Amino acid sequence: MLLALLLCYAGWAGLCLSMDRHFLHVSGRPASARHRLGLRLGGWLLLGASLWAALPGHALGVGLVQWSALLMFSALAWVLLLPYRPRLAVWVAGLGLLASPAVAMVSL
Amino acid sequence: MKEAFRQSMAWLHTWAGLIFGWLLFAIFLTGSLSYFRMEITQWMQPEARLEVVDAGTAIGLAQRYLEQQAPKAESWFITLPDARQPAIGIMWVNHDGFVLKRLDPRNGAELPVRDSRGGDFLYRFHFELQMPYPWGRWLASGAAMLMFVALISGIITHKKIFKDFFTFRPRKGQRSWLDGHNAVGVLVLPFHLMITYSSLVIFMSMVMPAGILAGYGDRPQGFFNEVLPVSDAPEAAGQPGTLAPFGPMLEQARQAWNGAEVGQVEVYHPGDRNASVSLLRRSSDGVIYDPGTGLLLQGSSGQVLSATTLGSWPMRIAGGFYGLHMGHFATPILRWLYFFCGLAGTAMIGSGLVIWLGKRQLKHAGTAVLPFELRLVEVLNIAGMAGLVVAVGGFFWANRLLPVALAGRAGWEVNAFFIAWALMLVHAVWRRGRRAWVEQLGLAALLFAGLPLLDALTTDGNPWRYLLRGDWLMLGFDLAFVGCAGLFAWAAWKVRRAGLPKDSTIARRERVRPARTGALEAEMN
Amino acid sequence: MKSAVGGISVAYRLAVTSRVLAAVFGGYLLASAASACLALLLPMTRADAVVSGLLLAFVVYLLAALWCFACRSAWRAWLGVLLPSLLLALVYALAKRMAQP
Repeated sequence: MLLALLLCYAGWAGLCLSMDRHFLHVSGRPASARHRLGLRLGGWLLLGASLWAALPGHALGVGLVQWSALLMFSALAWVLLLPYRPRLAVWVAGLGLLASPAVAMVSL
Repeated sequence: MKEAFRQSMAWLHTWAGLIFGWLLFAIFLTGSLSYFRMEITQWMQPEARLEVVDAGTAIGLAQRYLEQQAPKAESWFITLPDARQPAIGIMWVNHDGFVLKRLDPRNGAELPVRDSRGGDFLYRFHFELQMPYPWGRWLASGAAMLMFVALISGIITHKKIFKDFFTFRPRKGQRSWLDGHNAVGVLVLPFHLMITYSSLVIFMSMVMPAGILAGYGDRPQGFFNEVLPVSDAPEAAGQPGTLAPFGPMLEQARQAWNGAEVGQVEVYHPGDRNASVSLLRRSSDGVIYDPGTGLLLQGSSGQVLSATTLGSWPMRIAGGFYGLHMGHFATPILRWLYFFCGLAGTAMIGSGLVIWLGKRQLKHAGTAVLPFELRLVEVLNIAGMAGLVVAVGGFFWANRLLPVALAGRAGWEVNAFFIAWALMLVHAVWRRGRRAWVEQLGLAALLFAGLPLLDALTTDGNPWRYLLRGDWLMLGFDLAFVGCAGLFAWAAWKVRRAGLPKDSTIARRERVRPARTGALEAEMN
Repeated sequence: MKSAVGGISVAYRLAVTSRVLAAVFGGYLLASAASACLALLLPMTRADAVVSGLLLAFVVYLLAALWCFACRSAWRAWLGVLLPSLLLALVYALAKRMAQP
């Protein structure tokens, strides 16, 4: 579950930052078209990866429910953290992403 | 054309949300708590901190108890213990009612705990609303239908649902409330839609009899017999008979279901020659709540009379809705996630009510007196939300304070809940607006902060002892109480602050941080 | 000739009430009719058809409720729920007759 959570959170971060207003809020600079595309693509890929990480070890139904729950929880966590501590929110996403291969090896 | 549609949906959302808003808030809050109803029951009956025994032992104890105490009952119901509910649950039904008991799995005697409805009160309240059968369920179902309308109309109204997906702008008054309402609404939308539609599905045979009557005309019971075939037990013969031991019957079920465990045992006409035993699968095995998979055995011999499994897609879908709503299959982490999603729904409803009033209050900002309708909404908002939280605190306080030997103490705990709620209603009428909010939230904070202390004073447990024993349940409750107290205290502080004149609340640091933030915020808008 | 009560005309209040009644009661009627027809017409076992009809009834109820407030007048609201209900009742009667040889 931890791996799926980290990937979800990073995925939401990517999708969010691919939007002009949020990228600007976090970095102070507007996003280039390449940034936007990369972040959007990366975001979707990470969300997909989180599904792949959430399913093993459970019946399909249970795995899907867990994935949905993690998606909703991580989205809310990101959105509530972003306006107060934008840098921290992004750091958590980045660190989570870095940690995920290690988490994957331990849990899968 | 599209604008008119969106406007009509906005109007519908506003009013559908208001009509049963306070009822739905109460349903969502008690429903969220219900995901921990067995844990709450254990907390409310701390005398017995039990271990789980195996099914064979449990069923033997239950059978022995029932054969001694209720040999002539019409039916017996036995709920086998599991990690969340380690006591053995039994019930017997006579022509004049039913009796519920919980047995100690160590010896099969009645559990020596204080009489309390525990978490089951909150669970039943959330769909029966403390009203006589079946009116509470009808009201709850009506509220669910309105919730469904409010959700869909809200989605239609929310023009920038994708653009504003991640948008939350705090410290901007009404704008922030709306952003928050949208955030807990949209980001947790799959849960809200699931929980609302599934609540309609759960009572669908009660609220939509037309379908059943169409298919089964003059014999609607036929529908239930076909859908839950295991309940089609043989009639009583009118002659006495004996029951075979239940233990081997459990083993039969386990073999028939590839190792899956029995969750519930039902015995029809136990003292009769035609007694039958129905074994139902444990509901925590999978998402689909499956009352159709069962084994019906002859009571005297253990011979299989009929076996059914859930086959068809419509039944799977209905069972799936049921199971998703109840969340029996949830592991501890998922259970907490269910709880947080429920709280998000509660917050969505609550913020909606606050926004409804706030928008209209602005129009009356000059005058000191609100028109009656708005004053009514204000009182209901305060009593329905902060007051409800105080009532829950009162319920837990009553559980620890009422003498263990008091007759009818379970009923008195429930009374404490409603008395506290009623007092908060009176308080909300007496104290104007903001002060009532601050005082009730403050009271809630005090009540919840006091619970760990009260627990330590009235029972032989305290947080340190729980830690040493590894009693995560009791320790978890103490931590959760403190956390809730912190949340309510923070909320009370925020409400109080919002009422003070602007300058006195702006910290010096914020006043000196001008241009950059302003430019960024302008960009975001 | 409109009399105003607190700035809102009586005609408006009547129209809203009418739409609400159409949504609550008319919608329920339509959902029940749809449920009954599905129970008879779906090509499944009797129990499954009934369950499917029950499952879908609430979607019908929702659509009826949305219609009652989205349409242009209270009259249209009633028309929009009563006419389909009538049609479904006819379909139901026909299906019932055909099921009994």
